[in-house]
Amino acid sequence: MIGNSTPFREAWKHAALILGALIVILPFYVMVSYSLKSQKEIETNTGGFFGTQEQVVDQYCVKLGNPEEACKETPVIFNYTQAVKKAPLMRYLLNGVIVTVSIFLLQVVIALPCAYALSKLRFWGRDAIFNMVLFCLLVPVHAIGLPIYIMLAEISLTNTYASLIIPWTISVFGIFLMRQFFMTVPDDLIDAARMDGMSEFSIIWRVMLPTAIPALLAFAIFSIVAHWNDYFWPRIVITGDRSLYTPPLGLREFRGGADGSNWGPMMATATIIVTPLVVAFLLAQRRFIEGITLTGMK
Amino acid sequence: MAAHRSFAGYWFTAPAIILMVLILIAPVAVAAFLSFTDYSLGNSGFNWVGFDNYAKMLKRSTYQKMLIASGTYVLIVVPLSIGLGLGAALLINSVQRFGDIYKTIYFLPVMAALLAMAIVWEFSLHPTIGIINKTLIDGCGGWMEAVFSFGWVPLVNGAESWYSTSCRTEFPLWFGDKKYTMGTVAFIGIWQAFGFNMVLYLAGLTSVPRELYHAAEMDGATNGWDRFRLVTWPMLGPTTVFVVTITTIRSFQVFDTVEAITQGGPSKSTFVMMFAIYEKGIKQNLMGMGSAITIVFLIFVLILTFGQRYLVERKVHYS
Repeated sequence: MIGNSTPFREAWKHAALILGALIVILPFYVMVSYSLKSQKEIETNTGGFFGTQEQVVDQYCVKLGNPEEACKETPVIFNYTQAVKKAPLMRYLLNGVIVTVSIFLLQVVIALPCAYALSKLRFWGRDAIFNMVLFCLLVPVHAIGLPIYIMLAEISLTNTYASLIIPWTISVFGIFLMRQFFMTVPDDLIDAARMDGMSEFSIIWRVMLPTAIPALLAFAIFSIVAHWNDYFWPRIVITGDRSLYTPPLGLREFRGGADGSNWGPMMATATIIVTPLVVAFLLAQRRFIEGITLTGMK
Repeated sequence: MAAHRSFAGYWFTAPAIILMVLILIAPVAVAAFLSFTDYSLGNSGFNWVGFDNYAKMLKRSTYQKMLIASGTYVLIVVPLSIGLGLGAALLINSVQRFGDIYKTIYFLPVMAALLAMAIVWEFSLHPTIGIINKTLIDGCGGWMEAVFSFGWVPLVNGAESWYSTSCRTEFPLWFGDKKYTMGTVAFIGIWQAFGFNMVLYLAGLTSVPRELYHAAEMDGATNGWDRFRLVTWPMLGPTTVFVVTITTIRSFQVFDTVEAITQGGPSKSTFVMMFAIYEKGIKQNLMGMGSAITIVFLIFVLILTFGQRYLVERKVHYS
């Protein structure tokens, strides 16, 4: 855009950008391609991107005493059904949804009234509370995982949904972001609502919430991306019960159990876990990038 | 009415205050306290050990290796992911077409679960079946070897080049050889992080007033490098301070790749701080030691953040 660009220069720039793009895409290519191919094709690196889709025999199915004919499947179907059957992947995905959605809803329920009070209400100690919010912005939650874990363990809450959700219910960044947004909402709007006899509580949910949708959406994207992909925290608090595993933990489990002959199904699992957010991103790129960058300073 | 409203203020902030204290402030205090003890979960009591845990961190080779590993990771990932992020942003900003496509592609790793992608990288870098070593081996004796062994690589003559030598012997075990592991893990970190930095820089670039370029041109800054040095780079100052801080804090927190692939090895070469906290504190139940590492970590973060505030307030005001 800036400066005088000759076609020659332009070509060099594209060459550099394409090379970068190839390196960035490589693991995605490998992941999807392996999830489509048979074990043999993966090992010998044949079959191109899609594999030949020549039928393979499910050895486990044969071991169960079924005739070989009945156990034949095309690799892509084999890989994806294995991914779902061998580990309770659907359960993991459901856990992922439960955990991410609960975290986001609780964050909003707690942050929104606080942000409203900090921006639109006058009361003694308000500045002190805001300073506390600013101070808490300095604390990276991942880094204090150990003491939070100790506290949860002392009250026997590890290996529960609660332990996956509670530490994330407070988002000081959410409070900060919402407060900044509410500061721009004219006081007249709130005064008008008060004249109409609305309580402070319903002003939050019926006046402020609807005006804050863009900021909330940005925050939702950030929160959901962070917690769907999080591996550190579930790894720490969920040690026993597989039925509480989140998607990344489930993938880890799959890998741990792999004896070197499960690459196809494992890559299918990885694809299933990565796809929802990537597809959402491709559909609404602009919003996602804005959302992540706006809130990325957590 | 006013009194009623001020009550509302307390009601509305109370849940947030309670949670801030319980989840963010108390844990820091708990960690600070426990870092002076030999506490472990399940034991009824614990002993006050003073600065023993901190002294260990300076004296024992395990913890020295931990500090070195974290430091190395940060020193590789921060400059490279920022440099590549800035480079990509500048290139994307200057090409006439397809900029949005590159931007989308480069941002993909930010969205994908790092654990899943770490496992895919591990497969891609597998010494025998991995696509990377396979490609490198297939290239031996062909044009790839010719390109990478040619005398233009400074100080390396053809036969002695890394590529040719590897062709004659073998290509590295990326995650098994102490010489390569940290570099490989850092590579995955850069791969994952630079798209995020790119987007921050793209946002920064849109705020550079175009008149400044015209002014610089009138003052004789005609080539691209001068324009960058005199206008773009100084105007990106605040963005850079922010990007450096956030990338450094995030790099100190690297966990997924290390836990999933290397487990801190080989010979503790990738034993980074977050993994050390997990390994020592949670797996070995040495909570006192884990807390001490946590506190050191928080001190790093505080120094970085205050450094950033200072720079933003003192130094980088251009507009």
